[in-house]
Amino acid sequence: MERGGDAGGSGGGGGYINRSRRHAKQREAAAAALGQPPVSDDSSPNVRGAAKFRLPAANPDAAGQEPPQRRSLPTLREQDQYMPIANVIRIMRRILPAHAKISDDAKETIQECVSEYISFVTGEANERCQREQRKTVTADDVIWAMGKLGFDSYVEPLSLFLARYRETEGDRASYRDPMMLKRSSNDFGGMVMPPPPLPPQQQQMVGYMQGNFLMQSDHLQQQQQQGMYDGGLMNGYYRDPFGSGSGSGSGEDGGGTSQNGMSGFDLYSQYK
Amino acid sequence: MRQPGIYSGILSSGRKEPHSLPLARIKKIMKRSGDDVKMISGEAPIVFAKACELFIEELARRSWNVAVQGKRRTLHREDVASAVAATEVFDFLVGLVADDDHNNGGGGGGGASRSNSANSSAGGALN
Repeated sequence: MERGGDAGGSGGGGGYINRSRRHAKQREAAAAALGQPPVSDDSSPNVRGAAKFRLPAANPDAAGQEPPQRRSLPTLREQDQYMPIANVIRIMRRILPAHAKISDDAKETIQECVSEYISFVTGEANERCQREQRKTVTADDVIWAMGKLGFDSYVEPLSLFLARYRETEGDRASYRDPMMLKRSSNDFGGMVMPPPPLPPQQQQMVGYMQGNFLMQSDHLQQQQQQGMYDGGLMNGYYRDPFGSGSGSGSGEDGGGTSQNGMSGFDLYSQYK
Repeated sequence: MRQPGIYSGILSSGRKEPHSLPLARIKKIMKRSGDDVKMISGEAPIVFAKACELFIEELARRSWNVAVQGKRRTLHREDVASAVAATEVFDFLVGLVADDDHNNGGGGGGGASRSNSANSSAGGALN
């Protein structure tokens, strides 16, 4: 598939094209064909996605519409190869002053840059894994790769972040969301009782374990309902989402009661 | 792949916000980075999510500085390109942000300019 179909391509072997220009030209061409004004719709979650839907399939200019495949893979949807633009914008807005405006093409450009960044770092991390004959790219490899590629200023914050994350997973969290506590006590209709004494490492789990310890038979059903609200919230507390296993053992296996209480959380696999 | 929920916010000094970036998507992009990327640990996308935040923040900040120097309040692709060119760590992006149409540099591209102005004029609402 030709990359340089309409915009004349870019310099350099990478062959990257300015997506917004390409799409903008197609929007114009398509819109002209349809007799409608082209619209830049920023309100949709994916600007390009919105534009794409407006283009008729028969439009000859649509040939270049799908992002050209990189690395000889079958054509991917844009949403598969980039971070969602809304998320990207939100992060940008944390940094920019309130009055700042961001053009569509700047948003798209940064979106592309993020994906490139991930690929770039992953490539380096993967190379190291291969050299050391390991099959799995780990978080440590990723952080190492960033240091190697010049992102030194990220290494420490990320290492800290990772350490905190691992700690958290190990303890099954020292964080108790007060909203969750409130919700559990409400949902269980006042059945909340003082928690049984727990071994130290599990005391911190009391917050959200509270309701679950105490309802033996019913809690599964109630958790099921509550799980609808908290599914997202609670999943991570009880299961290492990726089954990486290393940190997840200690918290869960702390004792008999906790095992019983935890067993119900296999239900959360539905949220996987 | 299941998205972790709000629990991730606890990792950021009690900030209640979930991971800003979807981990499944990150993992997909990682896998695409090379045919030989086989297995990815569960923590790697999580670290990347944070790293991408840092990356976006840095890129946005630098790009904004360029815009400010040009006495503008709208961030354009050219600003991003300038920031990339001026920063050594961003060398890998040079090909990606290269401006194809220098003729159209003013509005950010003949075709795109319409979308830009539409964006800027309604910028308050849309942004």
